[in-house]
Amino acid sequence: MIEIKDLTKTYTVGGQVSKVVDHVSFKLAKGEIVSIIGHSGSGKTTLLSLIGGLTKPDSGSVIIGGKDIWAMDDAGLSGFRNRMLSFIFQFSSLIPTLTAFENVVLPAAFGDYKEEITGYAKELLDTVGLGDKMNSFPSQLSGGQQRRIAIARAFINRPEIILADEPTGDLDEETEAEIMALFKNMNREREVTFLLVTHSSELAGQAGRQLRMSSGLVSAA
Amino acid sequence: MGKRIRIFSIAVKNLRRKIIRTVLLLLAVTVVTAALFSATLFISSMQNALKIGTYRLGADVLVVPEKYATEARAALLAGEPTSFYMDRAVLEKAKRVEGVKAATPQLFIKPASFTCCYNVDVFLIAFEPETDFTITPWLEKNLKKKLTGNEIIAGRTVPVLVGDSIPFYGTLFNVVGTMEPTGMKFFDQSVFMTMDAAYAMAASSKENAMQPITIERNKISAVLIKVQDGFTPERVAIRLEHDIDGIKAIASEEVINTVRRQLGGLMKGILAISVVLWVLALLMLGFAFYMIVNERQRELGLLRAMGARKGHIFRLIVLEAILISVSGGIAGLIGGSALLLGFKGLIISSFKLPYLLPPVPVLMELVAGAVLFSLMTGLIASLIPATLASSLEPYEAIRKGE
Ligand SMILES: Nc1ncnc2c1ncn2[C@@H]1O[C@H](COP(=O)(O)OP(=O)(O)OP(=O)(O)O)[C@@H](O)[C@H]1O
Ligand SMILES: [Mg+2]
Repeated sequence: MIEIKDLTKTYTVGGQVSKVVDHVSFKLAKGEIVSIIGHSGSGKTTLLSLIGGLTKPDSGSVIIGGKDIWAMDDAGLSGFRNRMLSFIFQFSSLIPTLTAFENVVLPAAFGDYKEEITGYAKELLDTVGLGDKMNSFPSQLSGGQQRRIAIARAFINRPEIILADEPTGDLDEETEAEIMALFKNMNREREVTFLLVTHSSELAGQAGRQLRMSSGLVSAA
Repeated sequence: MGKRIRIFSIAVKNLRRKIIRTVLLLLAVTVVTAALFSATLFISSMQNALKIGTYRLGADVLVVPEKYATEARAALLAGEPTSFYMDRAVLEKAKRVEGVKAATPQLFIKPASFTCCYNVDVFLIAFEPETDFTITPWLEKNLKKKLTGNEIIAGRTVPVLVGDSIPFYGTLFNVVGTMEPTGMKFFDQSVFMTMDAAYAMAASSKENAMQPITIERNKISAVLIKVQDGFTPERVAIRLEHDIDGIKAIASEEVINTVRRQLGGLMKGILAISVVLWVLALLMLGFAFYMIVNERQRELGLLRAMGARKGHIFRLIVLEAILISVSGGIAGLIGGSALLLGFKGLIISSFKLPYLLPPVPVLMELVAGAVLFSLMTGLIASLIPATLASSLEPYEAIRKGE
């Protein structure tokens, strides 16, 4: 269960103060799929970063599993990102020096992974339809393929929460449907909670609940 | 369990990605380490040589016949050997002079050519193994036993091999060892034998040799003296000349001091240059890593998003720098050694000093020191960039790199 309380983030650019996330509060139940839609620049990515512990809010709190993540130290917060939560970024997020497979298992380099990783990584690559691209480098993959590798990586740590920023942005309708099926499957089988930012009304429509973001404010859609 | 990715392999892959930059940075460390290592090794070799004591430096005072003072000086400093003799009584008198701790006689026998296989002129130096303190340290290093009977040791440039038998003045001698190069022509072109062997050789030369030689048993060429603690060689030399008639006493301190001064100046020069080089390499490496961190911000931010702690990022950057600097350091060690080896001859001839590698433990220390030094170079150079990298806010880093 995720509780976002009064979250605020402002940026000052050239003396101009803009409230990118403006006193946002909402709750996500465990196993919920919630979508966020909103215009470009409305603060969606910033909001996800605040929830995922990537940027510090000016005020407010993000409480996950009863703990305020912004009250944790670096090791605690990093461990939380490593084991509890995964990001799917809006833009390419693979490490160029590593192969597709290595990118997928990368999170294990930063945490205590006792479970089997290799087989699971292959399984995930198969699931996103790239089992045969294991040894390809990002530069040898298309944008959509890179995106699918990033999606496979997001599941390697068996997270409880996935924060996905336009996860199907550069995928065709068919692949988008497959990815959505994967999300739903993970949601059903493991009760993974999803917070999806999307422009796609198709994807947004499949969420259990929709939020709308506008000028830093979040409201029910 | 499968092949997991480790921070180490991420670092190696990053270095391989920009291989030219990596090699250039590595070479910078190589040059500095090579310079520092060869300089330190050179200086410690020189100090080692001074410590062991060469023939001319091993004795504090050299006593020779007064008439031959100039020749003796020339022989010892310029390596132009001549022979001269005086009464053995000088030795006994010298031993009684105040400040003399030990005295040992030597015989210098004029160049003898031997024509068994080559025609070469060598200088014969005879010493008394029981009292000697100047040649024995050299022999011990090479022979590990005392010289007896008709055994000889050949200087570096005498063209003979261990096991050869060569005749001098009609007597056959067995070569039982050869010397390390000492840096003195005089020494390197000499053959060393015991005083007893030399007297016997001279005695039998009348029957056996075409050009006989006369050296009476009561003649010696020089007395080498070690002074007691608390006495300066100069003072003892003055005393010797005062107490014994017809001799000239040459104090070696002057020679040693000159060499020491030369070495000291050289060391300061090399040190100054090395420090400058090092600072430059440090700045270069530091700046390069600052840029590396800058251009990889997005990647580093992504690693943080995947759960990398600040410490992981710090380690990754420092590791990359250390990998470069330690490889550079090892290359520098090899390069520096090659440099010294290549110029060994030149060093020996220009310093007129024996060139002895320091003992193995000291050598190991130097090698370990060089590796540690290169490691520290990488560590220090990457400290600031690594700190910057690890303190980036993940979201900012990811955005900025976009
Ligand atoms: N580090 C920053 N410094 C200054 N302004 C920022 C910073 N990060 C975000 N902003 C501003 O905050 C606003 C929201 O950005 P954000 O990336 O959250 O939008 P978004 O809703 O994800 O847009 P899009 O749909 O285009 O991805 C933008 O106007 C952006 O310029
Ligand atoms: Mg965005």
